[in-house]
Amino acid sequence: MIPFKLDITEKNNSPSIRIEGELDIHHCAQLDDALSPLLSKNPTHIFFNLLNTSYIDSTGLGVIANAARNVAKHNGQIILISDKSQLKKVLELSGLHKKNVTLVENEKAAEKFYA
Amino acid sequence: MPKPIPITMTLPAASDFVAVARLAVSGVAARMNFSVDIIEDIKVALSEACTNAVQHAYVADTSGNIDIQFNLFQDKLEIIVKDHGQGFNPKETTSSKQTEETPGSFGLGLGLTFIKSLMDEAQIHSQIGHGTTITMVKYVPQIV
Repeated sequence: MIPFKLDITEKNNSPSIRIEGELDIHHCAQLDDALSPLLSKNPTHIFFNLLNTSYIDSTGLGVIANAARNVAKHNGQIILISDKSQLKKVLELSGLHKKNVTLVENEKAAEKFYA
Repeated sequence: MPKPIPITMTLPAASDFVAVARLAVSGVAARMNFSVDIIEDIKVALSEACTNAVQHAYVADTSGNIDIQFNLFQDKLEIIVKDHGQGFNPKETTSSKQTEETPGSFGLGLGLTFIKSLMDEAQIHSQIGHGTTITMVKYVPQIV
């Protein structure tokens, strides 16, 4: 099992959070805590790099949904980077893809959102 | 019809044990020749059932357990997840309105949606004060 790890970088007032390991009920509070100071700076977009996230559950998506509601106040977007079909499936079941949450398959595809 | 093979496990209702349930069900489902994608779906469904128990069953009590029973039939896997916690009214948690508008309940409403969508059958029985039992079934795809 990959140990849980968060790595935060920032570019053009848009934070990018790389999440390694399993984003489940045991770890979602860590992500929530890391997001609070970032959200207080009112970023336009937040990037979640999930390429090394081996599992994500409803509580993890709940934290992302909360971030999405926050950035929606100033027309911001959440960009999820993942190539896993399972993530696409749970994202569609959550309905978040119909809101301001966009899924892209790789970091190159995410770059256009920085503009 | 031959009797199912039962496998039972009891886990502490704590967030760090939900990953153990996921590992266990991966092993059980792999044994039954489910495809990798279906194993992933079953894993999510069981994980959400355990998460539900950890989050909502034992709010003031950290010593609670989750009983998981796997029944391996020839044509299906049945999983029963039982907690002995405070229970809830399923009617009050599954409406999409609540799921979307109440931030704190996003996880719960969505978890039940995942279980119902990813499994072939899912039943939730909960009684206030007597705990919750979630029974779910996945059929083994038939080779024609």
